[in-house]
Amino acid sequence: MPRLEQLAVLQGHEDRVWCTAWHPTKPIMATCSGDKTVRIWQATNAQDPTKWQCINVLEGGHKRTIRSVAWSPDGRQLATGSFDATTGIWERDEEYGDDYECVATLEGHENETKSIAWSKSGALLATCSRDKSVWIWEVEEDNDFECLSVLQEHTQDVKMVAWHPTEELLASASYDDTIKIWKDDDDDWYCSDTLQGHDSTVWAIDFSPTGDQLVSASADQTLKIWKRFAPGNNMGIMTPRRGEPVWKCVATVAGQHDRCIYSVSWSKVHGLIASAGADNKIRLFEATDARPDAPGRLTEDQQRTMNEPGVLLEAMAVAEVQEAHGMSDINSVAWYPNQEHGEWLASGGDDGTVRIWRVVRD
Amino acid sequence: MTTLINQNPIIYEASAGNSTREWRESDDNEDSADPIDAQEIFDLIRSISDPEHPLSLEQLNVAQRDHILVSDENSSVLVEFTPTIPHCSMATLIGLCIRVRLLRCLPSRFKVDISVRKGTHQSEHAVNKQLNDKERVAAALENSHLLEVVNQCLATAT
Repeated sequence: MPRLEQLAVLQGHEDRVWCTAWHPTKPIMATCSGDKTVRIWQATNAQDPTKWQCINVLEGGHKRTIRSVAWSPDGRQLATGSFDATTGIWERDEEYGDDYECVATLEGHENETKSIAWSKSGALLATCSRDKSVWIWEVEEDNDFECLSVLQEHTQDVKMVAWHPTEELLASASYDDTIKIWKDDDDDWYCSDTLQGHDSTVWAIDFSPTGDQLVSASADQTLKIWKRFAPGNNMGIMTPRRGEPVWKCVATVAGQHDRCIYSVSWSKVHGLIASAGADNKIRLFEATDARPDAPGRLTEDQQRTMNEPGVLLEAMAVAEVQEAHGMSDINSVAWYPNQEHGEWLASGGDDGTVRIWRVVRD
Repeated sequence: MTTLINQNPIIYEASAGNSTREWRESDDNEDSADPIDAQEIFDLIRSISDPEHPLSLEQLNVAQRDHILVSDENSSVLVEFTPTIPHCSMATLIGLCIRVRLLRCLPSRFKVDISVRKGTHQSEHAVNKQLNDKERVAAALENSHLLEVVNQCLATAT
């Protein structure tokens, strides 16, 4: 069985850490906090992941908490979403030292920006807010960002946005307990599906490595895995909207966290799912095909009449760390995005620390 | 404020002094661990002022010792409060005041849940959801106007 081993504790933030984001290709991480700064951390020696240093502090760009941070896919830019309702775009000034400067500020949300995400190609940026909307921005030349669409179908705060790993398809998670899937039809963005099933706020979402599945984490203390069924699928799941796939819940993980779950990360390298929240724990799961006699597994007849796939996956708990940030909430977990250090996991908590973990298989 | 939402609240007698807790033998023994109990939580919140009356949460029966559940061992606190009227628009603000008071006074290991006592408010679910969403609470506390109102209510807390 795998286990998590702590490699390093990074101290420097003066308030809770909200979000941790790995650079797409380098052993570098950006973290943001209630202290209104972003810190950039680097392994001093990629061969020794126990030694990290803070190489930059991004200050002064936001007047309030920085809630989320995200690298562009080429690693050249960093986006920050703040409670001050704006999104900052930062770039390293390579001519003058190594400092980052804010090269653009995206305005439009009425209040707190909660999450930001770059599409795989880097051509689009999505932001979401307590104002219940999701905005899609097109990245143009000279640090110009044009708003393509304002999506207003959520009935409450939108907590997080996440892009599909390969397609231009966006998922959003909300305080209205749902997840919505957004697609583009000739520059016209629309909601192609609404995923209902959680009993409380959906705090976080992440796609599986192939993007055919999505994991969600909720204040209802469960994780759910949703699977995409294309028209004409061999399970006989109906796709009411013409030509449009549907997403159905194929697994629910209950009883593993006993308070709100704030973050979930699905490794694109080895497929393990990490989750963490207000119960101070980090947990790891492996999604495997459910046995034919798994509880909640529907017979083929039931599937047909109920038009539900039932439980197709089992998320087996394979490791946990209790009190991973002492007695503090954990707000963020993130797997390293590529093969090179795929076993690394970062976490950020209310104790103001960032921690680096490694999954070890004995 | 021109019109009060509840113009004639019932006023209850507040216990005298700072603490209504009975003396315990362990109080005199400095070496013994002193677990936090419901009385201690009640003592922290009972003298918070109501946002619209010059009265305390105890005097209005908004906070009651019997509606507080504490497990020191599990580092958990549940405070249920009772709005004076079921359509009280101040319910969220009162809950926020209780949360901030405990945030400032309790060791950080405690996980605090604040909720409206079941059946005492018409938007119970919405109020509870908001009060227990840490992101909304964090954002609310960065709103200087709101923070000022909260601090006013907490100014009387002893």
